[in-house]
Amino acid sequence: MKNRLIVSPSPHIYKDESVERIMWMVILSLVPAGIAGIIIFGIKAFKVIFLGIVSAVSSEWLLQRLTKKKITISDGSAFLTGLLLSYTLPSDIPFWIPILGSFFAISIGKQIFGGLGQNIFNPALVGRIFLVASWPRYITHFIPPLGYDAVTSATPLALLKRQEIFEQFSYIDLFLGKKPGCIGEVCVLALLLGAIFLLMRGYISWHIPITYITTVALFTYVFGAKGLFRGDWLFNILSGGLILGAFFMATDYVTSPLTHKGQIIFGIGCGLITAVIRLWGGNPEGVNYSILIMNAFTPIIDRYTKNRIYGR
Amino acid sequence: MNIAQILSIFISSVFLYNVILSRFLGLCSFFAISKETKPALAMSLAVMFVITTSSIITWLLYRFLLVPFNLTYLRTISFILVIASFVQFVEMAVRKISPSMYRVFGIYLPLITVNCAVLGVAVLNVDMFFVDGKAIPGSLFYSLFQGICVGLGYTLAMLLMSGIRERLELVQIPRSVKDLPIAFIIASIMGLSFMGFSGFKF
Amino acid sequence: MKKFFKEFSKGIFKENPTFVLALGLCPTLAVSVSLLNGLGMGIAATFVLLGSNIIISLIRNFIPEKIRIPCFIVVIATFVTVVEMLMKAYSPGLDRALGIYIPLIVVNCIVLGRAEAYASKNNVFNSLSDALGMGIGFIWALLLISGIREFLGSGKLYGYKLIKGFKPPAIFILPAGALLVIGLLLGFFSLLKEKRK
Repeated sequence: MKNRLIVSPSPHIYKDESVERIMWMVILSLVPAGIAGIIIFGIKAFKVIFLGIVSAVSSEWLLQRLTKKKITISDGSAFLTGLLLSYTLPSDIPFWIPILGSFFAISIGKQIFGGLGQNIFNPALVGRIFLVASWPRYITHFIPPLGYDAVTSATPLALLKRQEIFEQFSYIDLFLGKKPGCIGEVCVLALLLGAIFLLMRGYISWHIPITYITTVALFTYVFGAKGLFRGDWLFNILSGGLILGAFFMATDYVTSPLTHKGQIIFGIGCGLITAVIRLWGGNPEGVNYSILIMNAFTPIIDRYTKNRIYGR
Repeated sequence: MNIAQILSIFISSVFLYNVILSRFLGLCSFFAISKETKPALAMSLAVMFVITTSSIITWLLYRFLLVPFNLTYLRTISFILVIASFVQFVEMAVRKISPSMYRVFGIYLPLITVNCAVLGVAVLNVDMFFVDGKAIPGSLFYSLFQGICVGLGYTLAMLLMSGIRERLELVQIPRSVKDLPIAFIIASIMGLSFMGFSGFKF
Repeated sequence: MKKFFKEFSKGIFKENPTFVLALGLCPTLAVSVSLLNGLGMGIAATFVLLGSNIIISLIRNFIPEKIRIPCFIVVIATFVTVVEMLMKAYSPGLDRALGIYIPLIVVNCIVLGRAEAYASKNNVFNSLSDALGMGIGFIWALLLISGIREFLGSGKLYGYKLIKGFKPPAIFILPAGALLVIGLLLGFFSLLKEKRK
């Protein structure tokens, strides 16, 4: 039997799609954001992405070898984990950070649960919060984009948190990615290209990303820093890891709810937690934490939103 | 009494210093009863009730008996006695009123007595809301509120963990990490993600 | 004498309170950020365990069956109060580091569990050896966990820096790191058990 494990709500209509194909399509859709990151931050960014992927794939191989399981590195899931993890890292970090992060993501985030399809939490995010908790100084150290003469090295969200003026970033800068930040998060345009591709081909549904982003926008508009109903919602959408998180991480098949109703609850939950952390928390960004917390809620959401069995 | 203090008690006792995931109180019952959602919820409600009521009782005891008579060194022993007898009373009441609920808990109801969370919150209240043996303004209210919030945090952790463990029943976990080890690792990841709530300022 | 040794040795490995019985995990997780804290907690708990096991087995025939748990708790709480006062007087630093986890020895399942399962049914001599064995089992488990956490989380052992240039992952001195270490250790021990079969 090949790996045909597709978690999907009923009715189970057969489609010529395998896990492998979906994974590689998602990877393909993430390529523009990676290229944009490399253009913006230079060759260092490529190094981080490369190390993250190589370490994730070889960790998967090693662990499956040690536990005498079938080697499934060609299904692309480890590749995707490494890719997503490196996208959430800044480009100027020691080489061992993406390596250890990917190893943790694959071992504790995935293989200890028995492998693909069984994990509770998004592996890439598990790797990311491990790195943040372990070496916070490296992960929050940002460099400005190439050819940018400002000396600032704080992300727009961090500046906002310190109540500093953020007029130095125009919306266009934020949209195109001319700002300090994580490799794969900065260029919103490239991310949206990939997201539209996935939506059009039906690999992800709109429910989670749209409710997620709308909730963040609404909440930050109402309770914004400048006063009630005067928050800068567009700024909040365009900065940080919201777009990457909403379209590519929160929509992970394994760790998000099965039904559309559940997905909407999931998206709103993610949005609320993200907005609350951004507005009042000590961390500038809450996307990673909020998706992980909602991952923990997923089994409960599924339990209470599953389609009723006819006749009961 | 101010809003900022109240909100920070809420965030820190429900998420950041979650009684189970960060303070490690009540771990035994947490891992023992979180295999299914229903008993887990019932247990959390019971714990929440006991924590809240015993926060008030121990506060009154400390404020009106131990402090005036200079007996604060008897804190530990008197708190545990009061909590134990109170739980005994609750146990008898439950047995009388709802035998079916009593059957569900089995041996765990008496264990609420030795649930560290209950005594832990009582001691914590006294540590936090008494300065040099004097109650700070709003002390009783804060104690009560902290009791409720710690109970909420316990319930949240229980609910999430039981949901996850029910799902894990359906998949093939490697044999050596089955049950307890994987539950610890899940708790660890949950604790890490609750750290997103650190440094709250209102 | 043979029985004494048997009762003594079971707590160290075969019925290790932490790794086999999974009792008393709260203090184990909470205070194991450094070897010093772990050792302090281990000794404090062992002292309480010794005292309560001896007293309870001495008075076991006078305690009415129905109210035995409250009686045990009174005995245990007395010893805990003694430890609290001793610690405040002689090592206030450690007392602050261990915080509320010292009074919480009262509800440590190991202490109450041994009182209920062993001391209330056996004579003083055997209860003493049982307490000693369990105490030492608890101490070595604490030392192992706190050693791992201190080394990985702050790059030190007993306060001494060991390797130059090692960037310790701070996660291991966070609460989440404690859960992770115990989870992996429990998994490791059950793997060993499987291998031996």
